[in-house]
Amino acid sequence: MKTLIVKKTAMKYLRLTAIVLSLGTMISCESLLDIDAENTISGDILTDEASIQKVLNSAYYNLMGIYDGANGGELLGGDFKLIPTLLSRRNANEISWDDVNAPPYSDFIDKDILLTNLRVEANWRRAYEVLNAVNNILLNLDNIADATAKARIEGECKAIRGILYFEMVRLWGPQYEEGGSSLNVPAIPLITIPIITVSEIKTPTLATVGEVYAQVNLDLTSASTLLQPFGKNGVNISYYACEAYLMKVAMQKSDFEAAELHADNVIESGLFSLVANPLLAFNNNSNSSEDILAVQQTQANTTGDKSTGTGLTNHFSSLTESGIGTMRILEFSLSSSFIDNTPFFSDVDIRGMVDDQVDEQTRATDITTAFYTNILNTSAISSSKFMTADKVIPVIRLAELHLARAEAIFEQTLDIDATALDDLNAIRTRAGLTELVVADFGGDPYAFYDSLVLEKTREFMYEGILFHDLKRRATYLDGIRMANNDPLDDKFILPIPQAETDTWTD
Amino acid sequence: MKILFTSLIVAFAICTSWAQELTLQGKVLDSDNQPVPGASVKLSGSDASTTTNADGTFKIAVADGYETVVISAPGLKTQKIFLAGKTSLDVSMKKGKESDDGSSSGFGTQSKSEMTSSVSSISTDNVSPSPLINLEQSNQGKTTGMFVQNSSGKLGEGTTVRIRGGSSLSASNQPLYVIDGVPLTSGNQSNINPSNIANIEILKDASAGAMYGARAANGVILITTKSGGSGKMKIDADYQYGISQTPRKLDLITPQQYNEQVIEFTLRSLSLDQHITKERLQGWAAQTGPDRDIIVLPGTAGTVGMPNFYDSLIYNTDWQDEVFRTAASHRANLSLQGGTEALGYFASISYTGQEGILIGNKYDRINGSLSLDSKISEKLSAQLNVNYFYSKDFRLKEDQDLGAPLQAIVLPPSDSYNAANNYQLIVRSLEYNPLTEINFSDNLAFNNSVVANLGLKYEITDALSLELNGGADYNASRQEIRQGPETRDGSLTGRSQYGEQNIQNYIFNGWFNYEPELSGENSLTAMLGVSYQESQALSDYRVANINSVSDLQNLPESNPLLNVVDIPGQASRFVSSFGRVNYSIMDKYLFQFSGRMDGSSKFGNEYRYGFFPAVSTGWNVTNESFMSGITPISFLKLKASYGLVGNTPDDDFLYRSNYFNVRYGAAEGLRLANLSNPALKWETTAQLNVGLDFGFFEDRISGSVEYYNKTTTDLLFPVPVSQTSGFASVLKNVGSMENKGLEINLSTINFENDDFSWSTDFNISFNKNTVTDLGGADLIVGVNAFRENESAGVFYMRKYMGVSQLTGEALYDNGVGGTTTDWESAPRQIVGDPNPDYYGGLTNSLRYKDFELSAMFQFVGGADLYFETGEFLANSGILNLGQLSTQYDRWYAPGDVSDYPALDPFQENTFPSTRWLQDGSYIRLKTITLSYNLPATTVSNWGMEYVSVYIGATNLITITDYTGYDPDVSYFDPLDGVIGQNISRGIDNFTAPQPRIFMTGIKIGL
Repeated sequence: MKTLIVKKTAMKYLRLTAIVLSLGTMISCESLLDIDAENTISGDILTDEASIQKVLNSAYYNLMGIYDGANGGELLGGDFKLIPTLLSRRNANEISWDDVNAPPYSDFIDKDILLTNLRVEANWRRAYEVLNAVNNILLNLDNIADATAKARIEGECKAIRGILYFEMVRLWGPQYEEGGSSLNVPAIPLITIPIITVSEIKTPTLATVGEVYAQVNLDLTSASTLLQPFGKNGVNISYYACEAYLMKVAMQKSDFEAAELHADNVIESGLFSLVANPLLAFNNNSNSSEDILAVQQTQANTTGDKSTGTGLTNHFSSLTESGIGTMRILEFSLSSSFIDNTPFFSDVDIRGMVDDQVDEQTRATDITTAFYTNILNTSAISSSKFMTADKVIPVIRLAELHLARAEAIFEQTLDIDATALDDLNAIRTRAGLTELVVADFGGDPYAFYDSLVLEKTREFMYEGILFHDLKRRATYLDGIRMANNDPLDDKFILPIPQAETDTWTD
Repeated sequence: MKILFTSLIVAFAICTSWAQELTLQGKVLDSDNQPVPGASVKLSGSDASTTTNADGTFKIAVADGYETVVISAPGLKTQKIFLAGKTSLDVSMKKGKESDDGSSSGFGTQSKSEMTSSVSSISTDNVSPSPLINLEQSNQGKTTGMFVQNSSGKLGEGTTVRIRGGSSLSASNQPLYVIDGVPLTSGNQSNINPSNIANIEILKDASAGAMYGARAANGVILITTKSGGSGKMKIDADYQYGISQTPRKLDLITPQQYNEQVIEFTLRSLSLDQHITKERLQGWAAQTGPDRDIIVLPGTAGTVGMPNFYDSLIYNTDWQDEVFRTAASHRANLSLQGGTEALGYFASISYTGQEGILIGNKYDRINGSLSLDSKISEKLSAQLNVNYFYSKDFRLKEDQDLGAPLQAIVLPPSDSYNAANNYQLIVRSLEYNPLTEINFSDNLAFNNSVVANLGLKYEITDALSLELNGGADYNASRQEIRQGPETRDGSLTGRSQYGEQNIQNYIFNGWFNYEPELSGENSLTAMLGVSYQESQALSDYRVANINSVSDLQNLPESNPLLNVVDIPGQASRFVSSFGRVNYSIMDKYLFQFSGRMDGSSKFGNEYRYGFFPAVSTGWNVTNESFMSGITPISFLKLKASYGLVGNTPDDDFLYRSNYFNVRYGAAEGLRLANLSNPALKWETTAQLNVGLDFGFFEDRISGSVEYYNKTTTDLLFPVPVSQTSGFASVLKNVGSMENKGLEINLSTINFENDDFSWSTDFNISFNKNTVTDLGGADLIVGVNAFRENESAGVFYMRKYMGVSQLTGEALYDNGVGGTTTDWESAPRQIVGDPNPDYYGGLTNSLRYKDFELSAMFQFVGGADLYFETGEFLANSGILNLGQLSTQYDRWYAPGDVSDYPALDPFQENTFPSTRWLQDGSYIRLKTITLSYNLPATTVSNWGMEYVSVYIGATNLITITDYTGYDPDVSYFDPLDGVIGQNISRGIDNFTAPQPRIFMTGIKIGL
């Protein structure tokens, strides 16, 4: 009978165990299955100031185009400079683009942009990633306890949204023409509420150029007010960056009165000053005195260079340490009357000098001129604006505000105003050119205007600014040409990527 | 489920019955009437067992004398004897293979006659002595339903294994590996020492796989390592030496032909095309003297000077000889096995050191293992297995990356290099010489792994037992890469990378086995258990432009040089319960019901649980009385199964939104990695399997035929979405896929007597894969695509239509019946399939007295390959580099008829097309071994059990139409992840071939 008892006990044990195990599986599963791994951050994290600030920092990371893979978007830190530059230049005449090593950019220099262009798609996607992040923060602002921080974060988010929609509508939409038909042209999706789960992804509707500009003004104006108490706001977007962007928006709309006002707000603040020599505005470890907004790079976090095969440095630099110089600039074009919008550098202009004493051992620190012989293709030259990827890339420099203010004053007065002339001379003299006086223009205010345009061409080569200037000028001036074409031609408008439109089901 | 469990428990309670105890006594003799000590005597259907004494006698308790006894011993044919009431038994055993000892089926074993599901076995004597270092490679072609494809001939590279075709697009298609009951998440199976494996079982159908529920959709491979024996200590030692070399060299253009190409390139660049003919080029290139670089154009067209470097093209370099080498390998094994009934042990240690056929590639591995099994008491037994691996791999760059050794073959043959000047090319100094990379960089991978388990078995009653086991699977790997200042990536400063990954995977299983004695000849077994598994992975990767890995490791996080890439950790848990009931009526009609309920942390609250049931049935026809007169048929069985199994994504947290760390300037940021998708759920595969097992003439001819149909639904697929979401695609459950196939296995003993025997094993598997639904979407990566109604990874590219006789331009199918010279406008078409139509193996084993010869052929049919290497070696474009010698017969002048277009010095792209798509079918003599076993009498005089010596070869002969190095290739960039591996199939992109290895070795038993 002893075994029987053992057996009965065993049965009892079995029964108990089985029930416990099976029930246990079902009941305790819920908690057992809630596992997390080390070093993960997930779920709804926009619940306090610290997390929201970190998401905002990643919006800057994306907006400034920190390297995001071979097919990553670059936005302000790269393609928003390079794409307009290539669109406004002629292949083989001004730039001999290396399309073996950088084929996706050939479409821009060839003025034939495919719907499937990888760069267009990359920037499109990344821009909306930034917009989704700031929209998400704006929806969760109430989770920031501190009112000051809340105002600053709201201001920066709105500024990012305003800046990005402005840059996008300029690239993907037709030029703004006050009272013209372009205002009613559907351009890009204008999204101001966040997408949080997969099921919320819907086919977007396109907003018109007018609607996008309205949102841009709203966001930047609100941001400007919110950020005014925060001064230069470190390296983030400040009141001054908002004012500078509002000036750019006004210029793009040919609203010169507003442009002058916004430019004054920055210049007269006295917080920024032109650097002594135009070359000093580039390749700095931190913002120069004339940087109002700039891309921050460190050796480890860059917009790309030779090691990634992407980014401004990779394309502009032909130095062994940093790039492959796909942007092969043809020297004769810098002063050829056959080329539209050539800078005509004089021999003394610091911005036009070329160093031909370079070789494979030459380092960035050895270069002290605006250009140097392309080391990998000695029949061309390279610009020294973006030599290594650990330096600051200017987005808005004070120089742009001086020249824009001068232009805005001229457009309002159609005369040679003293402030405007000072603005022009400030840019000329530091480049090694002589100071101009009213007499130099022979009593022709339009000669002064031409001088302003030429100076801007010299000062802002390859910075993605001149393309937009040509477009806006073409709305009210005849005979403006860009790479032998009408700047308002549709070929200068980026297409909405096919990868996007293919998903539009309704 | 609760109801099912409760009713099972009730069933246990009811069915348990009593039986009185008897003792069975007997003696086991071999064919020479000598006693067999240490033979295993087991009661079928229970765990009662014993071993014979030195005089061959045994005693074992039986219930009523109406049981079946299974007697087995090494080297002798296993016998199954029904006692029919007897209590004494003398057995005479024949020489032969131990067989039908029962196959592991996951949580228990089943014999061939009991099995109703589809399971393939690979037994241990087949595993050795292949010199291949990874387990998957060494089992290629060994069994039906398992397709093995190597990604590259570089050592330590991954292998693609598909059980009955791939059933997923974005989740893994690799089978689940289970070593000694521990389901791996680490990839450790590749590192296990093949000589330590007792057997391998491949669970192919849903009925077999149901025990592993949510992870069984790609099949399950159960690996059982050797365990302790009984009796006196056995020592086995072996040593093998091998020499590897490339099985093939490509035919490349000669220096003279290259120089002709330079002249052609120069003339065409100057638009002097009209002067070119092949004969003139030959004449110009053959010029000698100081003016050899001046070309006099025919007529009065003047002269052309060649570029400056032309004069220096005077070398003759065989770049293949520069990167390939004859490599040595060593392997040594030592193992001990023995014990008593109370404690059995097995221990082994082995070393494998192999050099790759490409310079710089080397692989060293040490394996150690220990296994103990102990019968602690009548009721309680325990088993422990520990397998340890350490490997050090001298790796090479990824095949498509600049500096990968095999890329040297594109360098001009009339150029050379200067070792004193960083191996820079003398003439074309801007081209990168892979020798620079190899000589000035280090690329090391280390791996430290343990797979261990501890199992306890408690016999609660004769009919009921409880098994508990716990296992661990641990893998710590790290990679150290340093590229010196001389290299391209490390130029001027040097560049170092350090990566680390730690995988920890634990499992606990507990289950009851219930096997009551039923009246009549019916039998019932039931099993019910639970399982808990937790797996975690943590990774770290850092890189900086400095020339030392140790300096890199010492850089503080704040150092601006340092880039730490944030890799979020992974963690998952499975909580599962499972059960299986087998019922057999008179050993004729078999039924099996099995099921598993899995809860997985990989899904959101609503979709965490999956239930995976299966049912199978079998009919042992030969056990019917009407078969008793039909003596030629020794075994005949029909079986069928149907069930569901699942597949989970590799990533652990896809259902929720995840963030990762980024840094902008000095600020830390959090970037969204994916949008949350709480609706994600398992992929489900429903599989039907029907099969026939047969044996004729006392199993002299035996085999099986099986047909299956697998349908996978709710495929996880990256669906393109509006990028206003910030993402180009999101993972959703859409679409379905189908795999249908037929598998045939045939083993014959062609001749057998004491002196001579000859047996043949043949297997062939047919599989047809079709993606049946993708919700209208498709995915194209390079030349491969996922498209509806096509096989997964089908080749999708432009169709090459030859060369225009007039202009020498390449022609492509324009899609409307004509041709075009504009590659861009030619439509892409479905042009081939990287998935094989069929594959298999044929092994012949011959024994004559003390000599044994084994030859194993392996074959793959109907698989296409894309020879991307060729695409570059025929890039007649602006890089002006080396070419395949076939390209020398290209088009030169109007009127030339050629398969290959003219050299175009302005051509930038390589223009992928069917020009490089080839039939990748092949038959390969995978291994051949000739062994000599020293006569037993001689050896025993030396005090040894056996001594054998062998010579052999691996990959000795390959018959194929493929023109690349090796048709057993499928390169994918590891950075492309799981989807990349699933879609980029059949690509040969400067991929190293599988080596041809000659080996010799000795095996000793004490």
